[in-house]
Amino acid sequence: MAIIGEYDIIVVGAGHAGCEAAWAASQMGFETLLLTIHLETIAQMSCNPAVGGLAKGHLVREIDALGGLMGRLTDETGIQFRLLNRSRGPAVQAPRAQCDKAKYRLTMKHWLEGVPRLTLFQAIVIDLLVANGQVRGVRTLDGSEFISRAVILTPGTFLNGLIHIGLQSYPAGRANEPPSIELSQCLRRLGLKIIRLKTGTPMRLDRQSIDWSYFTPQPGDDEPVPFSFWTQKKLENKILCYLGYTNEKTHEIIRRNLDKSPLYSGKIKGIGPRYCPSIEDKVVKFPHHNRHQFFLEPEGLDTTEIYVNGLSSSLPLEVQREILKSIPGLDQAKILRPAYGIEYDAVLPTQLKPNLELIEIENLFLAGQINGTSGYEEAAAQGLIAGINAALKLKGKPPFILRRDQAYIGVLIDDLITRGVEEPYRLFTSRAEYRLNLRIDNADERLTPYGYQFGLIKEEQFQKYLKKREKLKKIMIFLEREKISFSAGGSFTLKNYLKMPQVSLSDVIKYAPILEELTAEEKRFIEAEIKYEGYLKKQQREIEELNQVNEIKIPEDFNFQEVPGLTREAVEKLGKFKPRTLGEAKKIPGITPATIINLYVYFKKIKQAKTKKPSEPKVSRET
Amino acid sequence: MIIQEIDLTKTIIAIATPPGQSALGIIRLSGPKALEIAMKIFRAKTELKAWSLVQGTLIDFEKDEAFDEATAVYFPAPRSYTREDMVEIICHGSPIILEEVVRLGLKAGARLAHPGEFTLRAYLHGRIDLLQAEAVNDLIRATSLTQARLSYGQLSGRLSKKIDSLRKALIDLLSQVEAAIEFPDEGLQINLEEISRKIKEIVREVDKLIQSHDLGQAMMQGLTLALVGRANVGKSTLFNALLEKERAIVSPYPGTTRDYLEERIKIGEFLFKLIDMAGLGQPGHPVEEEGIRRGQALASQAQGLLVILDNSQPISQDDYEILGLAQDKKAILVINKIDLPSRLERRQLENFASGKPIIEVSALHKTNLDKLRKAMLEVFPPAMRQDHEEVIFHWREKVALERIKEALTQACEKLEAGYSEEIVAEELRPATEVLGQLTGEIKSEEIINAIFQEFCLGK
Repeated sequence: MAIIGEYDIIVVGAGHAGCEAAWAASQMGFETLLLTIHLETIAQMSCNPAVGGLAKGHLVREIDALGGLMGRLTDETGIQFRLLNRSRGPAVQAPRAQCDKAKYRLTMKHWLEGVPRLTLFQAIVIDLLVANGQVRGVRTLDGSEFISRAVILTPGTFLNGLIHIGLQSYPAGRANEPPSIELSQCLRRLGLKIIRLKTGTPMRLDRQSIDWSYFTPQPGDDEPVPFSFWTQKKLENKILCYLGYTNEKTHEIIRRNLDKSPLYSGKIKGIGPRYCPSIEDKVVKFPHHNRHQFFLEPEGLDTTEIYVNGLSSSLPLEVQREILKSIPGLDQAKILRPAYGIEYDAVLPTQLKPNLELIEIENLFLAGQINGTSGYEEAAAQGLIAGINAALKLKGKPPFILRRDQAYIGVLIDDLITRGVEEPYRLFTSRAEYRLNLRIDNADERLTPYGYQFGLIKEEQFQKYLKKREKLKKIMIFLEREKISFSAGGSFTLKNYLKMPQVSLSDVIKYAPILEELTAEEKRFIEAEIKYEGYLKKQQREIEELNQVNEIKIPEDFNFQEVPGLTREAVEKLGKFKPRTLGEAKKIPGITPATIINLYVYFKKIKQAKTKKPSEPKVSRET
Repeated sequence: MIIQEIDLTKTIIAIATPPGQSALGIIRLSGPKALEIAMKIFRAKTELKAWSLVQGTLIDFEKDEAFDEATAVYFPAPRSYTREDMVEIICHGSPIILEEVVRLGLKAGARLAHPGEFTLRAYLHGRIDLLQAEAVNDLIRATSLTQARLSYGQLSGRLSKKIDSLRKALIDLLSQVEAAIEFPDEGLQINLEEISRKIKEIVREVDKLIQSHDLGQAMMQGLTLALVGRANVGKSTLFNALLEKERAIVSPYPGTTRDYLEERIKIGEFLFKLIDMAGLGQPGHPVEEEGIRRGQALASQAQGLLVILDNSQPISQDDYEILGLAQDKKAILVINKIDLPSRLERRQLENFASGKPIIEVSALHKTNLDKLRKAMLEVFPPAMRQDHEEVIFHWREKVALERIKEALTQACEKLEAGYSEEIVAEELRPATEVLGQLTGEIKSEEIINAIFQEFCLGK
């Protein structure tokens, strides 16, 4: 075995998680090696050509506010932009963009190539070097060894991937790309609990073989909203997507061919996501629906490939053809790539600490689909957090853990490590208890100071952020002071006027021309802060109360045996996880309310004992 | 539940059998030192094995003297009622022995259990849910058959079932609202009017439960009935007659009862709390005056009145004033002393009774008391309707349900005023949280499950 190189941090896999992780680790000052099976497919969008949507768009804003790459890259390579839920309130509005897939991966590769301290290398990792419960590096297929102080694993669906088309199946990480079978075996050998998941992707069609007159165009927004807080250039819509429907004939074909579906014949054992069902799933589960919608989405500007969003399937190719034939407008469509289902291994994420490091193996971090999630955005968010935390660990600094009330990233990671997953996990806004505060318009307010602290946000960007904050503060004070009177009677401050449900910021602008200076994003922020004010204040109180108990400190290297009444199991778990606060202790799987009460009573007593002491000498002097 | 008051590191002790003399008594210990403490008080004849009854003697370890025969059972955690280490000592039921065992237990390091603390610990360790915990307590304290029957019904989960169905309705509601928010591109047909109709339906159900609290209260605590009347109409005599014991001092002199007395009686399956008080009218003494003042306050708070009139006297101005008190209340007009010649104008009284039943009795000779008892059962208990299958007994439940109702009403108002769905969801959130205090918390995963069951989503 030859040791080929030594690094601080090695990232295995250059997908959406791996790229963010490698970027963060190297930006934070560490020599970083990014290993990928194929240099051409760095940041490949394996499935749909889109980024964002509800909760996912929120995640991208948070990644961006922390100094990650995904938002900027989406703005750079987007070809159609929409803000979803424009008719609803600002907390549930989120951007979504169609991207040029080829441009997306090439731009990411280009960016990473220019990052100091970051080395890209094409290799297949087959083994992890672990000694004394600590990771030491990786071994590749050709026997080379790369030594490092920390490893971040982001293998996506490549971990023991198995592709299904009809009843045929073959090992692969993505269509026609080799899977990582040995790596999965290695994780099992290390004693990790592995689960089997399933996902799928629809067929890609030739644009020229589609009769577009049958479909309804879906244009982008007139005024595109960028993903990134730092994007300056004007965004342009360059394509249209189209909406179409399946019909009874389609469903009949699917029903007739269910015996050829690996999903229904029981061949696929992995659990698929309900929010991303195959067309056969939809037909079986909702038999009374006489049609299902799908979208035709261009995969880029320089390709004829069209992604059929909604027709994901693992039926045999000839059935896929038949399905298309039943749909007017697609009856002549040529399939360029067939739809397929893919099963892959994931690590049950309850084996992770909140910093995404494995409990059992020190300095080994996991991010992305390996943790049971699905989606580019979920992967990228974890990648960024794993990168930051690997760097913090090597610096000997406390981990970066976002709370559920601080960010969707906090909700995502907390859900994963405390609840585990049964199907590929997707983020929804309804998973957040404090949805009205976790908005796209205040992601910078919530997170940019952290990004700056870690060195991921540049001085210049941070100054820009501070300036914006100052400006918005002034506007807020102005709206609180400025009054308007109505001839019908009544006088309101502009703020109270804006609080009325039927009044929007554009109604207020005529009384306050100063608002015209604001960008659309800043207007959204002002409107949200005012309209949600009552709710936000109430939530703030709740959060503070909760944090009072949660923030009770547990001393470092504390011996939990000192706490009376704890079960042996609880002492073991607490000893292993080493929670620093009661809040962290609560998050440990299997820790009961009774344990928390015991800890609470114990630490409360210590505190009381401490606060009592100083008063004693006084008393003695008086007597 | 106040976290500050609970300390699970302490071992608690209490007499588990009801107070009073009985053949056998049980002392319970629960907590980390249950066995250690029990071993100090109880000397086993054979080795103490888990979950088996062992004979032995009770020892005063201070004097090293045996003082009674007893048996004990050791329940190691988690297979015990509280899921903690537990020991039950079964000995003779004399209060003196029982109290001695507890005293020694305290000496040996145990703490006296708060009422309901064993059950609370069972709850904290996840053995039973909150509703069950409360029902266990009620079963222990049940003072009437109705109460016991209702407690049992609750213990077996009838109220829990009702709350569960409310929970399902709420999940269904939230899944509609959330689906609209999460999937704007899916062309979902979500009808806001339908949602507001559903909210109102749930509010009606919640309201029914809130209303049932009156009945629940009446059954648990008994209905408070005040005996009111002029001085010397025989209130205390009637009070004693109904109680079937000499509780109140009676004398032929007006104003004998200066303070008020309170006793519980059971009629049929129903519990009443009777209050005997000083006669209302011209006070003669400052103490009596205070008694009358308190009495009036009690009469106005009571859930029902027994207005006592004297058959041997014509209706006086004082009687009319007292009848005035009964105007807006459930009441029975009781004509006492029918053994004496009648000087009370029946027709005059009927005009004033406005439909309230008039019962003629002689408290002294216990004539017609059954008639009075029958009338009391007919008049006072809240209607026991068929749809009152589920009854709530506790303030906590009532307050929780009222908060749920408020949240739902707010959500409905916001919806109808044209606020966006995320605001409606925000208003609904407290309802799900409060419901979580009654039964299992609603996890976001459940709402998401419901969304995917109902709607065909995803690409």
